[in-house]
Amino acid sequence: MAAETAGSPGSSGSPGATGLTRLRRRFEGPNTVGNSRGFWIGFAVAVLALVAYPFAVGSYQASRFSLFLVYAFLGLSLSVVWGYAGVLSFGQVVFFGVAGYTFGVVSVNFATPLGITAAFLVGVVGGAVMAAILGYFMFYGGVRNVYVTIITLVSTLVLHTFMAQTAGDEWTIGTAALGGFNGMPTIPNLAFGVGGVALTFDSIGFYYLVLALLVATYLGLRALVNSDYGRVMVAVREDEDRTRMFGYHVERVKLAVFTLGGALAGLSGVLYASWGNYVSPQVFELAFASLPVIWVSVGGRKTLLGAVVATVGIEFFRNSLGGELAFIFVGALLLVFILGLPGGIVPWVHRTYLDLRGEGDVSRPDPAEGAEVTDS
Amino acid sequence: MVNGLNLLFQFLDSFAFIVLAAAGLAIIFGIMGVINLAHGEFIMVGAYATTLANVRVGLPLPVAMLAGVAVSMVFGLVVERLIISGAIPNALSRRALGRDVIDPLYDRLADSMVATWGLSLIMIQGVRITFGNSLDQIGTPLGEIAYGGFSYSTYRVLLAGVAVGVLVLAYYVFTRTDYGMRARATIQNESTAKALGVDTERTYMTTFAFGSGLAGLTGALYAPTITMVPSLGGSFLVEAFVAVVVGGPSVVLGTALAGGLLGSINALFSNLVGTFFGRIALLVTAIVMLRFLPEGITGYVERLRERRREGA
Amino acid sequence: MSADASGGVNVRQTAAHQATGSGTDTLLQTDRLRKDFGGFTATDEVDFGVDEGELRCLIGPNGAGKSTLLKLITGTYAPTGGEIYYDGHEITALDPHERVRRGISMKFQVPSVYGDLTVRENARLPIQRFADGDERRRRVEAAIEAAGLTGYESAPATALSHGQQQQLEIGMAASLEPDLLLLDEPVAGLDVAEREAIADRITRLNEREGIAFVVIEHDTDFVGEIADEVTVLHNGDVFREGPIEEIEADPDVQRIYLGEEQ
Repeated sequence: MAAETAGSPGSSGSPGATGLTRLRRRFEGPNTVGNSRGFWIGFAVAVLALVAYPFAVGSYQASRFSLFLVYAFLGLSLSVVWGYAGVLSFGQVVFFGVAGYTFGVVSVNFATPLGITAAFLVGVVGGAVMAAILGYFMFYGGVRNVYVTIITLVSTLVLHTFMAQTAGDEWTIGTAALGGFNGMPTIPNLAFGVGGVALTFDSIGFYYLVLALLVATYLGLRALVNSDYGRVMVAVREDEDRTRMFGYHVERVKLAVFTLGGALAGLSGVLYASWGNYVSPQVFELAFASLPVIWVSVGGRKTLLGAVVATVGIEFFRNSLGGELAFIFVGALLLVFILGLPGGIVPWVHRTYLDLRGEGDVSRPDPAEGAEVTDS
Repeated sequence: MVNGLNLLFQFLDSFAFIVLAAAGLAIIFGIMGVINLAHGEFIMVGAYATTLANVRVGLPLPVAMLAGVAVSMVFGLVVERLIISGAIPNALSRRALGRDVIDPLYDRLADSMVATWGLSLIMIQGVRITFGNSLDQIGTPLGEIAYGGFSYSTYRVLLAGVAVGVLVLAYYVFTRTDYGMRARATIQNESTAKALGVDTERTYMTTFAFGSGLAGLTGALYAPTITMVPSLGGSFLVEAFVAVVVGGPSVVLGTALAGGLLGSINALFSNLVGTFFGRIALLVTAIVMLRFLPEGITGYVERLRERRREGA
Repeated sequence: MSADASGGVNVRQTAAHQATGSGTDTLLQTDRLRKDFGGFTATDEVDFGVDEGELRCLIGPNGAGKSTLLKLITGTYAPTGGEIYYDGHEITALDPHERVRRGISMKFQVPSVYGDLTVRENARLPIQRFADGDERRRRVEAAIEAAGLTGYESAPATALSHGQQQQLEIGMAASLEPDLLLLDEPVAGLDVAEREAIADRITRLNEREGIAFVVIEHDTDFVGEIADEVTVLHNGDVFREGPIEEIEADPDVQRIYLGEEQ
């Protein structure tokens, strides 16, 4: 058994896998982009750049940018569910919004650091639970993926209509008024801790918190999709019947992944609510519901990196352009990509990069099996 | 008695709205397997064209409506050639690069949703940039029906009759015309249809134009009753979309049944609780229907027939 | 042992017959199994049984209900009536993946390897559920070798020929170490050499591992080579059962194939 052909990770000369290489292998595989030392160096550089960003542009700009990082969780949630398990959900914003409102209600009622911490957890869990319920209803009911798309879309509309009519005084939970079309204002900033020993996050602090969470989440998801379970997810995406016949409980896999997606979207929603100190039914609008689909379609839904890069990139552009031109830009972007490059931009860049380096498709490592068998 | 009349008029209004909103979308979905999320914008094109023709050019309302239909048909043709089938970009790229650049969106439900959503964003903004945030209103003709302290717009109630007329027209087109035969052959089995000499590309093109024309008709008909803003399509899209998926692949029967079912639910709940809840009830019904009959009412019937045929 | 051309058929059949003598347990048994689609009955009160280690072929004219019966056994279809027993237990209500875990495995009619994955990744998927580390590696290697695909490990599965894909799929189904393996038209579209290879494979798995088979095939030569017993389905019910020689000689069977018998 010889080592895999050139271009694979860790084969920097040493025959035995070092601890670092073994660690790296957990995050690499055919299901994610970037499986070389070069990639990880680039990744580290990018993270450092993001860490330095607030010093370069000031706290106001950094605070605006942190919204895009918050959205990245929403993009990741769709990438996990759609790109890796094959379920196109237009409803990630349902979990986003439910979590945001839940956070709002709990934190307005208990505006202490402990209360806000609890609100954070309840919000994320709320998103996950909502996804579990909807997912159970759909997957265990045998609904095919196409109709899952439609049901999630309609669910978004249901929530929009419902929350929009919560304007009256009777729609108040404790001291938190749901506010109908106007939304719920005065949601407090995020804080963790109890009483005196608490950290409140606003502006710069919030930026770094979100960045840290995003890096951790990204790495965690990378490890997941490159693990045994990740392979099962992909198998489910590729051919459900067949995967079932290998003894896998496909419905449970889809439910689990969908719930994870709900948690991620929920995390995004909670961060969003505390970023703007505000949440409204606008998050359930068709326009916003389709944004994750746009981000992930353009970035490349089968890659986590694509989801993050495209989300942050598109939102950044949208905000810079502002106003009317922004919509046309986004619309045109979507059209061009779905028609011409349905795989998304990051995989395309990756392939082109590999082609230029002359490696083509060969350098696809199978790290989980240690020493590999070679061909040719 | 009065509440009964209320309910009846609400039902007729709802039925008309749903059927007219859904008709064009159902045709395109049923025959081409494309979900056109820009459908609302095609309705908007019809409405805007009608309004402009009537208010700015001075054409009488019925003629202006015809103009609205014509404009949206032409627009549909352009969109079909450029985006749905990619025929024009492909023809160009074949000369320049020697290969096709675009895969047609037929039977690509998820992709067509995403692509047409992009189109819709462009259309809304394009119209906003060109015509501003709102347009002058055409007045609603025909006054109102008054009864026991309530009144209902005569025009909107009459639209129910128009809706039925549209269904009849669609039925006629699909059963009595050459195009209709070709379209139905293509739905059944595209490769067989091609083998029998049906020009499926032209059929799809005509279908999309037909569907767009119907959308334009809806816009034209409702132009006198709604606010003319670039995003007016949104309120039609929801009902249309939901009715198409609940109705299933049979265009005429599916749309009619969905209109009836969803219209009644909407009217009932609106009457009892309020318009918001009428809408919610409609949407929740759709979700429940989709869970148990994911291919719509007529799709379920069709599946049973298919299973019989294919046997083992 | 590999059988040569002249004595091949008889040697295989004898060995296979030895595996199913009297005293062998029934592995699978359906009891008045029925499947209706709307008003159409695809499976009509079928009593179908397979013994441990038996190699059964399922034949019949198109539309007879062969694929439906297989899908009822795997649980892809839920029956309208009747029961299914496997290894002494009733499994009628079990989900497909649960039946797989009990030892039923299936290869679909249309080759459906995971196109995006390599051969090795394909082979690994069924195995990773119950094997780890070295054990896993060993089994994956074995599965690839048994399918005759050594050297193709890193090739994308779509690069394989039709015959190779069939071998890979049979291998993947067999790597679950089932007691009952269902094959739906394993040699459709293959040339003579490939058919031989598959026939060899099936017989080897049957004799060496004791796996029972239910194979749907139209090719009577192929059926004759591998089958212990043949079941003829017609109009959703068992029409005849017996060794291939009897079936082939049966005039009624010929008639239903020609469409005269209703």
